[in-house]
Amino acid sequence: MEVGFLGLGIMGKAMALNLLRHGFKLTVWNRTLSKCDELLEHGASVGSTPAEVVKKCKYTIGMLSDPSAALSVVFDKDGVLEQIGEGKCYIDMSTVDADTSSKISEAITKKGGYFLEAPVSGSKKPAEDGQLVILAAGEKSLYEEAIPAFDVMGKKSFYLGEVGNGAKMKLVVNMIMGSMMNAFSEGLVLADKSGLSQQTLLDVLDLGGMANPMFKMKGPGMIQNSYPPAFPLKHQQKDMRLALALGDETAVSMPVAAAANEAFKKARSLGLGDNDFSAVYEAVKVQERSD
Amino acid sequence: MSVLSNFFIKNNSCSFLSSVILASSITPSPTMSMCSTFLPQIPSNFRRNPFFSFPIKPLFSTCSKAFSSQSSKENESPARIGFLGLGIMGSPMAQNLIKAGCDVTVWNRTKSKCDPLISLGAKYKSSPEEVASSCDVTFAMLADPESAVDVACGEYGVANGLSPGKGYVDVSTVDGATSKLIGKQVKATGALFLEAPVSGSKKPAEDGQLIFLTAGDEALYEMVAPFLDIMGKSRFYLGDVGNGAAMKLVVNMIMGSMMASFSEGLLLSKKVGLDPSVLVEVVSQGAISAPMFSMKGPSMVQAVYPTAFPLKHQQKDLRLALGLAESVSQPTPIAAAANELYKVAKSHGLSDQDFSAVIEALKPQFQPSRKE
Repeated sequence: MEVGFLGLGIMGKAMALNLLRHGFKLTVWNRTLSKCDELLEHGASVGSTPAEVVKKCKYTIGMLSDPSAALSVVFDKDGVLEQIGEGKCYIDMSTVDADTSSKISEAITKKGGYFLEAPVSGSKKPAEDGQLVILAAGEKSLYEEAIPAFDVMGKKSFYLGEVGNGAKMKLVVNMIMGSMMNAFSEGLVLADKSGLSQQTLLDVLDLGGMANPMFKMKGPGMIQNSYPPAFPLKHQQKDMRLALALGDETAVSMPVAAAANEAFKKARSLGLGDNDFSAVYEAVKVQERSD
Repeated sequence: MSVLSNFFIKNNSCSFLSSVILASSITPSPTMSMCSTFLPQIPSNFRRNPFFSFPIKPLFSTCSKAFSSQSSKENESPARIGFLGLGIMGSPMAQNLIKAGCDVTVWNRTKSKCDPLISLGAKYKSSPEEVASSCDVTFAMLADPESAVDVACGEYGVANGLSPGKGYVDVSTVDGATSKLIGKQVKATGALFLEAPVSGSKKPAEDGQLIFLTAGDEALYEMVAPFLDIMGKSRFYLGDVGNGAAMKLVVNMIMGSMMASFSEGLLLSKKVGLDPSVLVEVVSQGAISAPMFSMKGPSMVQAVYPTAFPLKHQQKDLRLALGLAESVSQPTPIAAAANELYKVAKSHGLSDQDFSAVIEALKPQFQPSRKE
C-alpha cells in the first residue's frame, strides 16, 4: 500500500518509521525538509509539498501539531486540497477541535475525496512502540481500509461515528490527563513541603487504586526536575483550552479543568512550553517572585 | 523503600521478638529488649481455641504462621488485640485478625455493630478504656479527628486504660495536630503510640490488601508488623508522628482531585454527544488508566454510587489536606476546586454515598432545595 505521511514531528516520525518497518511504502513530507532524512534512510520517498504527496498516494495521513498547522497543510497553496479528488483518502491524526476537523472534512468530501479524523491517545514512546490508542470518526469505509495501518501504529482503535466525535473524545481524555498531572504535581509539592519523601509517595501511589502509567513514567523525572519532551506542554495547554471551549459551548461545569488550565498557562509564561507537560510541576512549585 | 514484604513461615511456637528479628533482618535494639514485658505471642495452635465456630486449617492461620521456631517460649500467652471502631473499614479489619487466629476484643459506639464480630469469636468490652486495659495492643479505626480524640482522650477513653508495656495504634485518618495530641496523651501513660492511617477502602480491607502509612514509635511498628500484614499488603514506616497522617492526606488529596476531574470528563463526554462508557474504555487503554477509574466508571455512568469510601470522608480528607497545604504556605488550586465540588455534593445529601457521587455536583440542579 502506498501511503503518504505529512508531518514528521515527535509523533509523526515514530509513526512513519513503524509503517516503514512493517512494509508500507511511504512518501513523506515535512515543513522542515531535513526532518525527512531519517525516513529516507529507512526507504521512504520524499514529496516536496503536501499536494505532491497526495498526487502520488491513494491514502495520505496527516500528523500536525495544532489546528492551524492542520488547516494550513490542507488549504494552503500546494496543500492537500489541490490534489484530492475521486477515490483519494485523507486521514488526519492531528489533535484539533471539532470545527477544524469538520472544515477539513467538508472540503475534502466536496472534491470527491474520503476523510477520516483519527487523533491518537499516547505520546512519544507509545508511538515508537506502536501502542497508540486511535480515536477515529468520519467515513466508515475508510476506517475499515485503514485498519492495517492502524494496527501497526496502535494497540487499539475505536470508530466513534460522525466527524467531530474523534476530536471531542481526544480532548476529553487530554482534559482529564491535564487535570491529573496537576493533581499529581500538587501532591508531590505538598509532600516535599511537609517533609515527606517524594519517592515514598510515588511508591504508595503505585500500590493502590490510583496507580496509572502516567504517574509511574513521569514521577521519577519530575522529582529530579527533569522534563524531556514526550508531550510538549504547549500542546497540552492547547488541548485544555480546546476542551474548556467545548465545555463553554455546552455549558458544562468544569472548575477543576479550568484551574488546571491556569497552571499550564503559568508554566508557558515561565518559558516551559517546549518541555514535557509534566513541567507544570515547576509552575505549581514556584512561589517566589523573580524580579 | 521501607516496605517489608509479607512472609509465611511454618512454626510450632516462638518468641515474638526473635521472629521479628528473623523476618526483618534487624539487630535487636535496646528499646526492644526493654519492651520485654510486651512480648505478645500469636497463638501457635488456635484449634484449641474454644471460640471458633468453623474449622480453619492451621496452615492458613497467618497468626500462627508468622513466626519462626528459633526459640520456644511456650509459656507466653497470645497477644491480646483490642479493636475500636467497627465501621466500613474496622469491621473487616477486625474480622481478618480473628480469622487469622488472633485474640481480639472489640468495642463500637453502636454496640450492635459488634455482634457479627462477637459471633466470630471476639470478646467485648463496653468502653475504649476497658479494651485498652485488657489488651496488649489496641487498634482504633474511627471516622474523623473528633471521634479519634474522643476515643483516645475522652471520658472512658483509651488513655485511661493504657500503661507501660502496652501499645495504641490509631488507624484513623486525621490531621497531624490531632495525631500528635493523641500521641502525647498515650505516651504520657508510658505506653507506645503509632499512627497508621491506611490507603485502600472497603474491598481492600475485606481482602487484607490495605497499605499502612505508619509513623511514631518504631518499636511498636516492628511489634505490630505481623498484624498489619494480616490486614494489609504493604506497610511503610515514615518517622515522626504526623508523617503518616500527612502522607495519607496527600494521597487522598490526589485521589479526590482525580475523581473530580474524571467526573468532569464523563459529564462533558455525554454532553457533547459521546458515549461515556466508551470514554471509560478509552481511558482504560491509555496512560491515565487507573483501577479506580475502571472500577467506578461503569457505575458512575449509571448514576449509582455504592459506598466503598463515603463522600463525606473524602471531603474531610480534602479539607484536612488543604489545611496541611496552608500550614506550609502551598497553594493547591486543583484540590481547592475539587473540594468545592465535594461540598456541593454534601449539600445535596450525598454524604453517605460513595465519593464517586461527586459527579452529581457537576450536574445542573433545577430545584435548589431538591435532595438526591
